[in-house]
Amino acid sequence: MKLITAILKPFKLDDVKTALQAHGVTGMTVSEASGFGRQKGHTEVYRGAEYTVDLVPKVRLEVLADDADADSVVDVIVKAASTGSIGDGKVWITPVDQVVRVRTGERGPDAI
Amino acid sequence: MGTRERRERSNESDRSLLSLFYAAAKEHLEIGGDKGIALAAVGGYGRGELSPGSDLDILILHQEQFPQERLSNFVNALLYPLWDTHKVDHSVRTRDETSEASNSDLKVALGLLDIRLVAGDPSLVAAVQRDIVDSWHKNSRARLPELKASMALRHERAGELAYLLEPDIKEARGGLRDINALRAIALSGAVAVPLERISWAESTLNNLRETLHTTTARNKDRLLFQEQGKVASALGYADADAMMSEVAHAARLVDYLLEYTWHLLEHKGRDGLGRFLRRPRTISVAKNISVSSKEVVIDPLVSIGDDPVIGLRVAATAAQLGLPISLETCALIKQSLISGEGVLPAPWPREARESLISLIGAGESMVRIFEVLDQEEIIFGWIPEWRPLRSLAQRNALHRHTVDRHMVETAVYAATLTRKVHRPDLLLFAALFHDIGKGNVEDHSDRGERLIAPLAARVGFSSADVITLQLLVKYHLLLSATATRRDLDDPATIASIIDVIPDLNTLELLHALSVADGEATGSAGWSDWKATLVSDLVWRVRQAMSGSLLAEPPALSDEQLLLAQNGVLRVELLKHPSGYSIEIVSPDKPGLLSLVAGVLNSLRLDVKSARTKTHGPSAVMYWIVTPEAHAPEITEVDLRNEIVKAFEDLKPVEEKLLARAKAYASIPSIPVAPPEIIFLNDAATDATVIEVRSHDRPGLLFRIGSAITQSKVDIRSAIVTTLGAEAIDTLYVTELNGGALSGQRAQEVTSRLRLALK
Repeated sequence: MKLITAILKPFKLDDVKTALQAHGVTGMTVSEASGFGRQKGHTEVYRGAEYTVDLVPKVRLEVLADDADADSVVDVIVKAASTGSIGDGKVWITPVDQVVRVRTGERGPDAI
Repeated sequence: MGTRERRERSNESDRSLLSLFYAAAKEHLEIGGDKGIALAAVGGYGRGELSPGSDLDILILHQEQFPQERLSNFVNALLYPLWDTHKVDHSVRTRDETSEASNSDLKVALGLLDIRLVAGDPSLVAAVQRDIVDSWHKNSRARLPELKASMALRHERAGELAYLLEPDIKEARGGLRDINALRAIALSGAVAVPLERISWAESTLNNLRETLHTTTARNKDRLLFQEQGKVASALGYADADAMMSEVAHAARLVDYLLEYTWHLLEHKGRDGLGRFLRRPRTISVAKNISVSSKEVVIDPLVSIGDDPVIGLRVAATAAQLGLPISLETCALIKQSLISGEGVLPAPWPREARESLISLIGAGESMVRIFEVLDQEEIIFGWIPEWRPLRSLAQRNALHRHTVDRHMVETAVYAATLTRKVHRPDLLLFAALFHDIGKGNVEDHSDRGERLIAPLAARVGFSSADVITLQLLVKYHLLLSATATRRDLDDPATIASIIDVIPDLNTLELLHALSVADGEATGSAGWSDWKATLVSDLVWRVRQAMSGSLLAEPPALSDEQLLLAQNGVLRVELLKHPSGYSIEIVSPDKPGLLSLVAGVLNSLRLDVKSARTKTHGPSAVMYWIVTPEAHAPEITEVDLRNEIVKAFEDLKPVEEKLLARAKAYASIPSIPVAPPEIIFLNDAATDATVIEVRSHDRPGLLFRIGSAITQSKVDIRSAIVTTLGAEAIDTLYVTELNGGALSGQRAQEVTSRLRLALK
């Protein structure tokens, strides 16, 4: 099993959610995040006062997937999240040892 | 479900206890049970109010005449049969032990205040009741603060009944325990508590608790979200929202009365040091309004028919001073609205609108005043549109308040942002009414846009301002929705905002309103993350917009230009219902603005707005001023003479203003944000623009003018505006020999201004 984590532009969340649901992904976790990658922050000037926006708002999306589905889920996310411009985000996959559904106690892929 | 059922449940318990008591007394004490031993009900059971899940709180009183073993057997025989059917909370005490327990434990004392004989010796229960009530009465100065402290801890732990998604009906602020506390305060005799005002709230909350216990078959008092539908249906409400609105209304009523009762206890008839006064001292704080016993009151013999704005003036004054309005004054205002005497004409006079803005802009202290206006049903006399929003529930995890309280909270946050905008009055008004469209299936932004227009026009806003307010209400969710859901790098996103937001002024207001609305909604709906996105969007839109936010220097008429050429002092004064408009043409000299402002202020005239411009050897000034309470009438001749005298020697004016500042320092005030001073060197040709945004106070313009004059800088023109309790002064300044200030000089003047406005 794999945990797929994606950092996305906030406005792309709806598109990614819709695409994942169409792909058969039924559950995901979304949280607010801030950070920067190669785009870095940028400096803004308003009425002589300069302030640095060094952490750019993003959303963090997490999806659990079976080993066989992980790559296709990543493809769906990347396709839906891409605008082609800097700051589109990142997606990474991490291995997961065990998953348990709290309500039923099911374990492994059945709990996804 | 109702009082009768609770009473019947209590009577039933009385009957079973009675037979158990006499049977046990006969068997173990070998007496009939009438002498020297008694069974009493305390707490809620003492009041004859038993919900299905209530504890049976009982006290067994004795006189130590029985051996310990026999007494224990008696108590066990009495209690064992009850433990299967009730949750019993009992104690066995003598009269002295009861007094001791009551003196050392507040909870015991409160329970004993409701003591009632169930079985046994009536004289024993009567004696204990006398002891408890006498002691509560005698020691009220120590026990009531103890009660207040314990309530504050409970409120912190349990939150507010009116606004929690899953409140505890008994423990939360405004709940049943608070009603008992009010009853205890009344019993102390320290202050009269109009308990009849909360009888509706008490029965509403008791019915709810009883139904909750019945429908859940548990004795828990927390009204969980999942239970609300069932409880509402059992009680015959249309839905859970309707029930929670009524809960909120009841809780707010209890809380209001409690707050006011504490205030009375702490201040009625006392001076600032808490000493009792034979005759309360009164300080006049506004026209026909005084402060007495730390309450704002309407002066005796004032006819509201002659001064219909007084109600709003009272509210604004109380909010700005951070003091409550006396109940008698509330009753007077309410009565005047019912009789029609206090009804405001449409559109409202300027003073009424300014008072409303001052009230809204008072920050935290406005919440309490607005609650008073709501509870006393005064606000509906001025703003009937508020009634459908009263305690309107928002049962979701996103909101933490009812609709009306959310709008009040938004106004509180907006008051912290008034320095960030050029029209604080529009921001505050929009904040207070941004969700006016809620409570209907139609989209609340669209409905709000429609409802705000007639309201704003009636309150007296110009038609241009009404349009801005409509935009603010219609689009109050636009910035946060766009910032989180649209690509900010896409020019089409920016264009979509510019399409509906016509200018920088509206954008600035909408940004502040979005922040205030978000902050008031709470962490579920607003975060630094969202705030950053919204700021980014606003910044991008601002870059794409053109225009200026600054007030333009005033234009002079041909007649004014002609008069200015003469260089002779000329004063023209026109009296209006709420004050004077004054035109002054005067030989120009450094410090002229502060000189005239100082003269006006020394005559106890508040500057509401001013437009001044230098032309040739003269300055042309147009002022709108309002007289303070008890200010003497002035004439053109008086004013001219005062200005001439000030030209010769300004010292008497300065001394007068210093004395007035000292007198004002003794009047209570609320905390306000520090002034904001902005310098712009590229906003005008040959001049530097200084913008000062500050809370208005007597002599403000005099201080600003003096600080600038001391910096040896000339004021070429000025635009001074007071909006509610906020002042925005835009000054076009130059060096004495002409030209804009250097960066260093600008910093120097800023420092001096900051110091002067501290």
